[in-house]
Amino acid sequence: MKKATYILMAAGFITLSTGCSKFIDYDPREDFQITADDYLKTADDYQKMVIGTYSPLQWLYANPVIGDVASDNSVSGGENATDVLGLQHIDDYVVNANNFYMTEAWKSCFEGINRANYLHENKAKLDFAGKDALYGEVYFLRAYYYFELVRMFGDVPLFTDKRLSASDSRQYQRASKADVYKQIETDLTEAIRALPTVNSQKGRITKFAAQALLGKVLLYQNKFDAAAAMLENVVNGPFSLVANFGDIFLQTGENGTESVFEIQYSNLSPFYDWSNPGRGQGNLAVQMCGVRNIAGNSPYAQGWSINLPTKELAAAYAAGDRRKAVTILDIEAYKTANPAMNITYLVAPYKNTGLYNQKYHPRKGETSGQIELNYLNNYRTIRYADVLLMAAEAFNRASTPNDTKAQTYLNRVRARAFGSNVNNITVTGTALRQAIWDERRLELAMEGDRFFDLVRTGQAAAKITGFKVGRNEVFPIPQQEIDISGLTQNPGY
Amino acid sequence: MRKRNRLRLLFSLLFWGVTAAFAQDRTVSGMVTDAAGKPVSKATVQAPGAVQATSTGEDGRFRITLPSGIKTLLVSSVGFADQEVTITAGMMTIRLESAQVSLEDVVVIGYGVQRVTKVSGAVSSVKGTEIEKLKPVRAEDAIQGRASGVTVVSAGSPGVKPTVLIRGIPSYTGTDPVVVVDGSIQTLDDFNSINPADIESVNILKDAATTAIYGVKGGNGVIVVTTKSGRKAQKTSFTYNGNYAVQEVLNQIGVLNASEYGAILNEGSALSGGKVIFENLAGLGVGTNWQDQIFKRAPMESHTVAARGGSDRMTYFLSGGYVSQEGIVGGGDKSYFNRINATANLTFDLTKKLRFINNTTYTNIKNAGVPENAINSVLSNALNFDPTLPVLNNVAGTVGTYSFSPRILSEIVNPLTQLQDTYNQGMTNKLYGKLELQYDLLKDLKLTSRFGYTNTDVSGKGFTPLSFYGPSHINSTLYADGAARPGSHNNVYEYKTNYFNYTFENFANHRFTVADRNQFDLVAGFSMARVTGNNLSGSRQDVPFNSWDFADISSATGIATTNGLDVGSYQYERRNLSYFGRVDFDHDGRYLVSGTLRRDGSYAFGANNKFANFYSGALGWVVSNEKFFHSKAISLLKLRGSYGITGNENVNPQYQRISTLLYAYNVGQNAGYSFGNEPASTGATIASFRNDDLRWEKQAQLNAGLDLRLFGNKISFSGDYFQKDISGLLFTPTLSLYLGAAALPMANIGTTRTSGVDMNLGYTDQFGKDFRISTNLTYTKAVNKVTETNNGLITGGGYGIPYQSVTRFEKGYAPGYFFGHKTDGLFQNAADIAKHASQPGAQPGDVRFVDINGDGVINADDRTQIGDPFPDFTMGWSLSLEYKGFDLSSFVYASVGNDVYRAYERNLAMTNKFRSVLGRWTGEGSTNDANTPRYSFVDANNNTRASDRYVEDGSFIKLKNLQLGYTFPSARLERAKLGGLRFYVQGRNLITLTKYTGFDPEISGGIFDTGIDRGAYPQARSIAVGLDLKF
Repeated sequence: MKKATYILMAAGFITLSTGCSKFIDYDPREDFQITADDYLKTADDYQKMVIGTYSPLQWLYANPVIGDVASDNSVSGGENATDVLGLQHIDDYVVNANNFYMTEAWKSCFEGINRANYLHENKAKLDFAGKDALYGEVYFLRAYYYFELVRMFGDVPLFTDKRLSASDSRQYQRASKADVYKQIETDLTEAIRALPTVNSQKGRITKFAAQALLGKVLLYQNKFDAAAAMLENVVNGPFSLVANFGDIFLQTGENGTESVFEIQYSNLSPFYDWSNPGRGQGNLAVQMCGVRNIAGNSPYAQGWSINLPTKELAAAYAAGDRRKAVTILDIEAYKTANPAMNITYLVAPYKNTGLYNQKYHPRKGETSGQIELNYLNNYRTIRYADVLLMAAEAFNRASTPNDTKAQTYLNRVRARAFGSNVNNITVTGTALRQAIWDERRLELAMEGDRFFDLVRTGQAAAKITGFKVGRNEVFPIPQQEIDISGLTQNPGY
Repeated sequence: MRKRNRLRLLFSLLFWGVTAAFAQDRTVSGMVTDAAGKPVSKATVQAPGAVQATSTGEDGRFRITLPSGIKTLLVSSVGFADQEVTITAGMMTIRLESAQVSLEDVVVIGYGVQRVTKVSGAVSSVKGTEIEKLKPVRAEDAIQGRASGVTVVSAGSPGVKPTVLIRGIPSYTGTDPVVVVDGSIQTLDDFNSINPADIESVNILKDAATTAIYGVKGGNGVIVVTTKSGRKAQKTSFTYNGNYAVQEVLNQIGVLNASEYGAILNEGSALSGGKVIFENLAGLGVGTNWQDQIFKRAPMESHTVAARGGSDRMTYFLSGGYVSQEGIVGGGDKSYFNRINATANLTFDLTKKLRFINNTTYTNIKNAGVPENAINSVLSNALNFDPTLPVLNNVAGTVGTYSFSPRILSEIVNPLTQLQDTYNQGMTNKLYGKLELQYDLLKDLKLTSRFGYTNTDVSGKGFTPLSFYGPSHINSTLYADGAARPGSHNNVYEYKTNYFNYTFENFANHRFTVADRNQFDLVAGFSMARVTGNNLSGSRQDVPFNSWDFADISSATGIATTNGLDVGSYQYERRNLSYFGRVDFDHDGRYLVSGTLRRDGSYAFGANNKFANFYSGALGWVVSNEKFFHSKAISLLKLRGSYGITGNENVNPQYQRISTLLYAYNVGQNAGYSFGNEPASTGATIASFRNDDLRWEKQAQLNAGLDLRLFGNKISFSGDYFQKDISGLLFTPTLSLYLGAAALPMANIGTTRTSGVDMNLGYTDQFGKDFRISTNLTYTKAVNKVTETNNGLITGGGYGIPYQSVTRFEKGYAPGYFFGHKTDGLFQNAADIAKHASQPGAQPGDVRFVDINGDGVINADDRTQIGDPFPDFTMGWSLSLEYKGFDLSSFVYASVGNDVYRAYERNLAMTNKFRSVLGRWTGEGSTNDANTPRYSFVDANNNTRASDRYVEDGSFIKLKNLQLGYTFPSARLERAKLGGLRFYVQGRNLITLTKYTGFDPEISGGIFDTGIDRGAYPQARSIAVGLDLKF
């Protein structure tokens, strides 16, 4: 009988052992987790993934700041020499490979590229109405991310066929700038073919946005003929200059008649995470450029006194240029001019110029949640005025220059700035070219393109203190990436 | 062949069992005495494995009737070691040895018990009596220094979990050992709900021989807690233990007083080209010492009532406990830990062979805390806030009870305002225990089926009111007149979490002897374990009247469209399936052999690696039992050695997750976008990588040890050397950044090595009739090194704004080491700077940083190891003296070589400074101490970057416990019908000897946060009176 007990026990044990191994199987659905296996089965999944491909655009909030701080337009500011250290280094031309902002830009762009690639990889999985146009947005976004990378870093790893997996780590080296530009052109050409001229939601990419970006990309490669032709499409598009320059930068001016492409931000989804400050729906760059501790009845809210316009930029505006007051806030002058506002503020504690970025200055009532993190201000990425100036430059520098056209485009911008035609430019040739370049600075100051324009046009060494030719045209590849992936570093870093 | 012998043996046992059942009963009588021959009353005498039991009378005598088949008696009594004796004819005399030194001590190991003499693995034991002496709130504090091989870094905040390391830090994914309470698997967090007074013993399993039976969970060691139970045939004994203490802070940190602060601000401002800030320095006086304002004298009390006893068929242990500890930071309104425990441990003999055990404990905890160990902690604010201000607000036309600084406009606020605005409370209801059936299939073959469970409900609430820290302070959410600033809202947050864990285990223990001298102990079984957690939380803005009294989601008025209403939830689950077996063999008490096997399946591992095998083997040689060994001095000499494999599964399944978050509190998961003025559109993205090859972390541990007892067991020594090698380290790899921002997968990469020594030396003696001494010294040393991470590197804890990381997990270094710049004095003049590697912004008087890589530029690449937060070794020394009714005990704990990173100095232009600034550089030759550079508002040289100027030697010696008690003579008590009465006074943390300049060098945290002092809650010094009563 006891023997039987043993046999029973053994049998029971074996049954339990084999029957139970399912006990340790795991299905992510137990935890209500959606995995890649559950996804891209409906058109809506594709729509959502495309929205997800837009997201990293918002993470690039610091790129426009870099474009001005690195140039002669603004200084880093901040609280002291170690506040926003990465920007201080960029401003002081002592930037090294451990720069926080560079690493963020690098990671964010590549995240965007991987998101786009994932859609590209799964393009054939499902067919649905509107898919072709939707993919136009995907290819535009991939081109945008690569363009940000190539103009900041030069040669970068290039991959387009798939979202990389863990095993792809360390498998890629830097591709040549020319190859990257070639891919950008391919993507944008495809985007232009697929995209509609008007899209379903404001802020969605249109054919014109793709044409404008391609024009810009061509300009960066000095392909002026192609650029002129491409930009001409946009010039003749449904855009117009906003009569009152200052209106462009107000909340009411977002996605307006002058807007070709804007990176969208919003205060409707309040965000609170200080540890990943750029990952909400708000624009942190706005908080950065505000006057410290400003109080009183002005429309302005307080900020961190970063990205302060230089006095030299202020002086560059001619008398009567309405853009000066829109671009630059001279806080002391403003306070004196508006005694009823009872303004008090803290003088910028570091690198004070007394001047602030008025275009993107934080304004009361335009944020929510953790107030610093949720400013709604869109980044006006490509404006019609920018397109006009790019087209002007392209026509001026084309193999067969068309200075008349260039003047026309340039003077449309100037006429709006001065409210009259008396300041029209009449010179031609290289003088016109310089006039266009100077106009780009005045029109687009504090909008993040100045540094790249100076580099592109070969003026950087002359205009920027500390700029070393052969080194500072590009920023250093993040040290982390050099260490992990064994990439080569840019010369001089 | 061997199989057949085994079968024959079983049949012989079976036959023996049958004959026994038909045998005649017989009466056995005898007397139980202590070592000195004095009778021991109320000792339990029972037949092991049978129902018969009795207890001794006042004269120590007993009489019991037993079936003649029973050949041994088990005698036990509180304060003495259990003793099993062979029944002899006539009047037996059984001599019990005091619990402290007995050779017959048992240790509780996985799925069984072993006599100390037969242990071939490495086990440290702490007795309940020692825990009772310290009267801690959490039992780990009683293990500190008392169990060799265990490093405990205690926390100061009431009821908070300390860092517990068993034999160093082999792994990165978690260092908490497994906690087994009466056979049920729990976690270190569950120690918050165990009343230390209910603990009978704590055994710490350290080497592979003892931990391999816990397989994949055993890698960080195992703490086996046995709670008290009743004894058969024993009259109910009641005990009451009460303790009342007053706690206070030991020391303060030297900061500047008001006039010193004024002077340094004037100087800093002048040096950076600014205006004089304080025109009238003399008028400032000493100002307010904010530390005086936030530290309170706080009471702590504990009470335990217990009853234990048993009839001949059941035993019981019932206990009720109450602990209330208020915090010394902010006082009892804001910081407290209150716990109620009720325990019933019951054993029933259902039949002669079937036993049912039901252990149940209910715990209720209420607690609240203040922000601590962070830049915004109360202590950090107290240290850095403006000393020129009065305590109370005296500015007309401004709200706020307490003063505000017109100068400090960000980060640092009045600590009293902060305390006033800190509102939170937590409530834990926990029910845990086990249901266990034991069936004696044969005399020495026992089947056990055990269901251990823990059900925990945690709920809590926090309230962030609108606050006023000054009209220009950026954290102010109120205007000076008390109106809310635009866009500002108060917020109430509530959460409820349920955790339910169970372990269902079935196993058989078989003990048998072959050919008289060969004893086998076998155990085999299987186990299923499940851990679940699920949470629901919500928050809502706009609580009426900005008041804690109305702080509830139901009364708040924030509405969803503006996201004033927010909800969240999570759930998780872990499951394990395991089979295990162990053989312990003892030949003649001389040769010990032990082997363990465990097969573990874990739900966490990848589809390709669901199961893992773990094993260990151990050998022991009791030299003193050899015939050739003749020594009067040495009563025990045992050599031990073991080797085995255990694991670690501190990882979650790694799959390719889709995130649809609008915004992300984790980098790379944000997938929303806001078109135009529409509400944000939900997007989707791949948020993580998958890893189907994920498997357990494998730990191979070698142990060699020696046990020695000398001079009639008066002196005992135990020493172990160990080496742990981890392979397949669970680690987040560092992958190419161009993979994007999705969460990187955990993978098995890297190796670590930990080696060390544990030692324990004890001495117990009695002089004359009345004087007893007992002392014990432990020594614990572990050296940890990360030997491979495949270029991976984890950057860990840090501090400050901007955040500076100072701890790392990196190849070639100890886990969690401090990382930063090395300093080399100060630049005395321009020539010094010119000579040195390029250091942008440096001026005479600035810190000279070392050019570690010699590239001629001081930058981030020059950072290196600047300290290690974990001690080189720790020691504990306990001493207990008894003379007549008096007893004196003390416990001293020393930690040597643990560095502390001083991270509580904010150093903004307007914040208060620390006294070291008074010795600052003021001109060439004034000082060359890197800790005291020149003082200026503008720190272009970044003197405050993470560097060794903030690293201090945190070695310390603490007098953790000192107690003097008096026990009333029993003769007098009997008239009052009392079984025992003892009064005592107790001091905890009376003295700390350390060079550390902060509050307390003992700073607990995970691997990456231990030793970073961002304003950590210091341990309190306390003076207590107490009463132990038995009736």
